[in-house]
Amino acid sequence: MSEYILRNATKDDIPYLANVVIGAEKGNSNKLSYSTFFNLSEEQVRSYIIRMFEEEVDGCEFSLSSYLLYEYEGNPVASVGGWIEGFGGEVPSKILKSNLIAYTFNPESLEFVKTKSDLIKEFQAEREPMTLQIEYCYLSRRHRGIGLAENLFKRHQENAISAYPAIKKAQVQVFKINTLSIRLCESVGFKIARTYKSSNKEILNYLPSDEKCILEKELQ
Amino acid sequence: MERNEIKKEVKIIFVSVLKNNNFEISDELTANDVDGWDSLSHMVIVTEVEKHFDIKFKLKDLNKLNNIGNLIDLVALKTEQKLILPDGL
Repeated sequence: MSEYILRNATKDDIPYLANVVIGAEKGNSNKLSYSTFFNLSEEQVRSYIIRMFEEEVDGCEFSLSSYLLYEYEGNPVASVGGWIEGFGGEVPSKILKSNLIAYTFNPESLEFVKTKSDLIKEFQAEREPMTLQIEYCYLSRRHRGIGLAENLFKRHQENAISAYPAIKKAQVQVFKINTLSIRLCESVGFKIARTYKSSNKEILNYLPSDEKCILEKELQ
Repeated sequence: MERNEIKKEVKIIFVSVLKNNNFEISDELTANDVDGWDSLSHMVIVTEVEKHFDIKFKLKDLNKLNNIGNLIDLVALKTEQKLILPDGL
């Protein structure tokens, strides 16, 4: 473990963070929601994700400041994102993310996603204000199973408590099919608080699963 | 363009995107106050407002919007700038 360095993500890590988002979004599947819902290739999605991170907007899953990572031999190998939802009266992360997408993605993809709105709306979960939100988590294959993700989760929790001592809870949203991620979250103290399922099977053409779990952990 | 006129047109866009007429447009209204104003509808609202008023928001301006009043003010500013600065300037 001594060869691994835990640190905050920097601008140089943005290409790796794009891999983190894409890898985590796909889970154990080949469905990338930003491709399927916006009718974009994976490479287009990657370039838009990079542009969103480069904007350096704080407080959502496309914020450089949200990510901690492990570096090994000079390269990032594992990363977990996390932020306190709406911290300091900030705009909710859903709005920040939407602003970034509306600003960055091409007009055709934004037109396309409108045609999928009924499908998407049914499958959205609200994030509780002033909770630690963990998203995304991804480890390069050969660095799995040695506790890196667990340590990154722990550091996010410590940072959140330090920034906002009254914080009560951390939350993670995971596709039910992603049993590895669920097991990881449970191993660091998260429990499934609720699940929700889309009533429209068509969603399986767009997402890895039609069922999502919200896992929670008390922080105090 | 008058602020009230912008407000009326913004309301039409909100009703059309949210498919919901069950709210009054007030300056203080936020995403938390209106059913259906989620991340996707917010994205669509932003693009529809840009298209309707033929303006383009800057990201930093979008991220400062806390309520509809802020949005109306921003549209008023952008449409005014458009009259002062022709395309390309």
